[in-house]
Amino acid sequence: MKFLARKIKGNSLWSDALRRLLNDRFATWSFVVITVYVVMAILVFFNLVGSSWQESMGPSREAPDLSQGPLHWMGLDIFGRSVVLKTIQGTYTAMYVGLVSSLIAIPIGVLFGAVAGYFGGWVDDLITWFSTMLANIPEFLLLIAIAIAMGKGTTTVCIALGVTSWVGLARLIRAEFMKHKNREYVVAAQALGGGHMRRIMKHIFPNVLHIVIISFSLRFVTGIKSEVILTYLGLGAEIGQRSSWGLMIADASGELMQGVWWGLAAATAAMFPIVLAFSLFADALRDAIDPKLRH
Amino acid sequence: MSSSDILVSVRDLEVEFSTREGPVKAINKISFDIPRGKTVGLVGESGSGKSVTSLAAMRLIPNPPGQVTGGQILFNGTDLLKISEAEMRKIRGNKISMIFQEPMTSLNPVFTVGYQIAETLMLHQGLSKSQARAKTLDLLNQVGIPNPSQKIDAYPHEMSGGQKQRVMIAMAIGCEPDLLIADEPTTALDVTIQKQVLDLLQDLQEKYKMSMLFITHDLGVIADIADDVVVMYRGDIVEKNKTEEIFLRPSHPYTKGLLACRPPLTEHPRRLVTVSDFMTVDGKEKVAPKIEYVNPTRSFTEAANPVVLEVKDLKKHFPIRGGIFGGVVDHFKAVDGVSFSVRKGRTLGLVGESGCGKTTLGRTILRLIEPTGGDILWKGQNITHIGSEPMRQLRRQMQIIFQDPYASLNPRMTVGAAITEPMEIHKIHGQKAERLARAEHLLEKVGLPAKALSRYPHEFSGGQRQRICIARALAVEPEFIVCDESVSALDVSIQAQILNLLLDLQEEMNLTYIFISHDLAVVKFIADDVLVMNKGKIVEMASAEEIYKNPRDEYTRKLLSAIPKGVPKTLLDRGITLPNLNA
Amino acid sequence: MFAYIVRRLLYAIPILLGTTFLLFLLFNVVPGDPALQLAGKHATREVIETIRAELGLNKPWYGQYFDMLKQLITFDFGRSYWTKQKITDMILAGAGTSFSLGFPAFVISTSISLLVGLVIALYRGSKLDKGVVAFSVAAQSVSLLVYILAGQYFLAYKMGLFPISGYDPDFIGRWQYLVLPIIIFVFLSVAPELRFYRTIFLDELYQDYVRTARSKGLGTKAVLLRHVLKNAMIPILTNLVITIPFLILGSVLIESFFQIPGLGDLIVKAIANNDRPVLISMTVLGTFAYIIFNLISDILYALVDPRVQLK
Repeated sequence: MKFLARKIKGNSLWSDALRRLLNDRFATWSFVVITVYVVMAILVFFNLVGSSWQESMGPSREAPDLSQGPLHWMGLDIFGRSVVLKTIQGTYTAMYVGLVSSLIAIPIGVLFGAVAGYFGGWVDDLITWFSTMLANIPEFLLLIAIAIAMGKGTTTVCIALGVTSWVGLARLIRAEFMKHKNREYVVAAQALGGGHMRRIMKHIFPNVLHIVIISFSLRFVTGIKSEVILTYLGLGAEIGQRSSWGLMIADASGELMQGVWWGLAAATAAMFPIVLAFSLFADALRDAIDPKLRH
Repeated sequence: MSSSDILVSVRDLEVEFSTREGPVKAINKISFDIPRGKTVGLVGESGSGKSVTSLAAMRLIPNPPGQVTGGQILFNGTDLLKISEAEMRKIRGNKISMIFQEPMTSLNPVFTVGYQIAETLMLHQGLSKSQARAKTLDLLNQVGIPNPSQKIDAYPHEMSGGQKQRVMIAMAIGCEPDLLIADEPTTALDVTIQKQVLDLLQDLQEKYKMSMLFITHDLGVIADIADDVVVMYRGDIVEKNKTEEIFLRPSHPYTKGLLACRPPLTEHPRRLVTVSDFMTVDGKEKVAPKIEYVNPTRSFTEAANPVVLEVKDLKKHFPIRGGIFGGVVDHFKAVDGVSFSVRKGRTLGLVGESGCGKTTLGRTILRLIEPTGGDILWKGQNITHIGSEPMRQLRRQMQIIFQDPYASLNPRMTVGAAITEPMEIHKIHGQKAERLARAEHLLEKVGLPAKALSRYPHEFSGGQRQRICIARALAVEPEFIVCDESVSALDVSIQAQILNLLLDLQEEMNLTYIFISHDLAVVKFIADDVLVMNKGKIVEMASAEEIYKNPRDEYTRKLLSAIPKGVPKTLLDRGITLPNLNA
Repeated sequence: MFAYIVRRLLYAIPILLGTTFLLFLLFNVVPGDPALQLAGKHATREVIETIRAELGLNKPWYGQYFDMLKQLITFDFGRSYWTKQKITDMILAGAGTSFSLGFPAFVISTSISLLVGLVIALYRGSKLDKGVVAFSVAAQSVSLLVYILAGQYFLAYKMGLFPISGYDPDFIGRWQYLVLPIIIFVFLSVAPELRFYRTIFLDELYQDYVRTARSKGLGTKAVLLRHVLKNAMIPILTNLVITIPFLILGSVLIESFFQIPGLGDLIVKAIANNDRPVLISMTVLGTFAYIIFNLISDILYALVDPRVQLK
């Protein structure tokens, strides 16, 4: 990707960061992996791939067989469904959970954090009080409480993750806004006659945007991993609705002792690269945007 | 000089730093000696390699990214770069010790200062705990810490900056080192404290007969204490000589520039000389222009210079919270009943030490901080309580330039966007293209090329950024500018350029300034009238000449006597004046 | 100091009231009437009404909220829908079990991660450091469930080193069942923790006082073990205190897989059986414990950090 890095012309901190990312082997490979999974999820969404995942292909729990074509490569499940197709379908669920929980957590976190940090005073007290209350409920128990209140399903998982995870982001953003609002460049904008909106949106926000991007990447990591656990606990997708890696791994808890390992292996093999890619990408982003923090 | 008189001999030292763009030479084959019992001043601007040199002598260059790539540092004949780390540890803090620029962060916050001093004694001298404590008390006494038996158990945060630097010095001299390295030890301190610390270092050096390597960006600071001076410029030594010789007969244009650029206290030049008057960017000497001296007192008339700003009994109190319910228990009176007025086209200097309230005052006048009491009158209109919209309109006339050129520009905005933004806010100067053309013109005015428009702040040096800030302030065509320590963070040579620029702009646009600084020499040069502030109150108010010649207040006198003379005492005593380098 | 503790205690009260109220709201937006669920499909109107009265469901909302607070204060949470046992007894029984699993795992994993974190921070940038960090990032990219499943399958089922699952309430007898869960617990905790500690140590290593300590002639180890460690221990210690309530809560997944009847297992069964009173009381109690330990952590912070000025 170095040839691409050389093509970036700008000299802003962003193009600097992008150049550094493109020169970073881990970052580029992570990006490639993420792109592959996103494309896969989109194909599943438009029913272009794996739409026949619920069809029975053969005997129940047939072991992996390379001779019967790609759909049998990872064996069949209890209903004779192709594990390969289920795994592909699961990609969509994983990306959906990551995306939707981010879309809930990030706007709330950024808005509350920015308002609390920038304005301070009673607005800050109120938001801090509210987020402290949420943060005081152990996350896992809150997830359960929300899941009980809303009923089971993938959407519940997304909402529960979104609602529990904005607090951390809001705290980060609040601290950054408090730091930046007294920086001289922001005071200068005030002295030049710039109003609150200009100072918040044009001056401070671009300087904290990297936190939002990093947090977006890390939300996917948490989202994908939490979906598995919540599904195992019986709070996530229910059998028959859609396929998910969580369901496949949860099923394995009963099947493994009977020697049925392929469902677990397929889901783990699918999950590992994407979670790793999002983690590495977040790390690389942090390094690229703020080289000072590099250790 | 026989070789036994030489304590440290640096030979062809080379240091490289690896960066993303490849290795960069920080130090380029430098050689110099530190004689026994003498002080060597190492002078240069930031990035000249002076601190790296001292860290190399301690073998403390952070690696990666830094690395010594060649040369020798002979200490008593032993090459410090060749010995093992274990042997080096026996030298650090024992034979060679070091004090740093930032007393605030250089001490470990969770240990008492007594422990941190005693630790060195126990490590190198094998003292027991009680012996080390007794000696620590003695050391604290020697460095002038009041009430040492109590302060020995204090934590660093319970001490002032000056006291912390004294603790650092106590720690450094505990083992009676042969060499003390002082890396800008007074730069972060107020002028009066700076003077005390310099005096202390000089006393201790004589008492313990140690050698000292004193690193600074300001030749004036070391005029009194250095025996020899080494001048560094971009990783090279450009000149080294006896201090007197350096001051009397500087040979390199860079040294000449450094000597000439400090605002003089006795005469009043129209413009300050800068390094660039003596040499081109690539280091070639050129003939400096002659200095033009003017009458320090500028006359004014009621008609041409009416009062534009009047401040009456202005107060800003910050609440201090405490108690069980976190209620307001007291107030910190940052600005406490200040009154003065400023006339059009003139400069009011505002002098005081850190924490005296001068920055708060400057920001309160512009309503960037809401005042607690009193009145601010702008051209007769009371603006103390006017709403945010009329105030926003008024901001076109009143501007501010800050201290830290690194923090005062938005790192995500191009220079062009930064300069056109004020025009956009006030909807002046037509459309984007017109505004950009005007931004180009403003850049030219502050001495920057037009191509800077599309660049980002991180691509510029501190002095250039300060020029950009000035251009941005000028974008709204203000009449009045508060310069809040606007040259304090800059190297002396750059400081002179910015001061000249501010003077030129004032002349051209008939600007009115409030110039806030802790440096009386700078204020004397640029201001017509001076206010001296202490603890939120004005202690003295007079013309700049008057304040300097006949200070009435005790505090003003203290500030004045703390200004480094900038001339070696030996020369002053013999009545020798420095040559005029531009004659 | 006294004023600080009192202020901090007073501050905890609105937080506690607010948080419990938030939970109360959350549990009361649940569609469906608990009384209907409890009474069964063929219950008469009168039966349902009696149950409603028993559960306090006919009271106004503030009465119900007050009941919830009363339960917390008197430590009496009523009975489980499913087992019909007193919830207080269930929690007390489960807490001891969870603690037997959580506490040894906590001590071992914290010691290992602190030690490894310190060593790799010391040799930062070395192959060892890069290797450990890479391994920990990779290890965290696999679901916890997979480790539990694989550990149980290989170490217990295939190799027969440990019992596959089960528990013995006897104090001595329980350990044979706990060894494998503790090993897995430690493995799951070390990967994220050691990166956390490494970051804290590295943040300290770049401080100016480290340079001062080195300029005194102290060796790398003395700098690290004396100067850096004492500074780093402040955030580490306060962070550890906050994790204590989670020890008692136990590892939900591990307990469930190994059928260890701790609090985690209690929660999983309550979810499966829709046992609302158990879930509500566990959540309220967990939150309460979290607030208390947060309080302790704050006070501890003020005690150990000389920079915190108590006025």
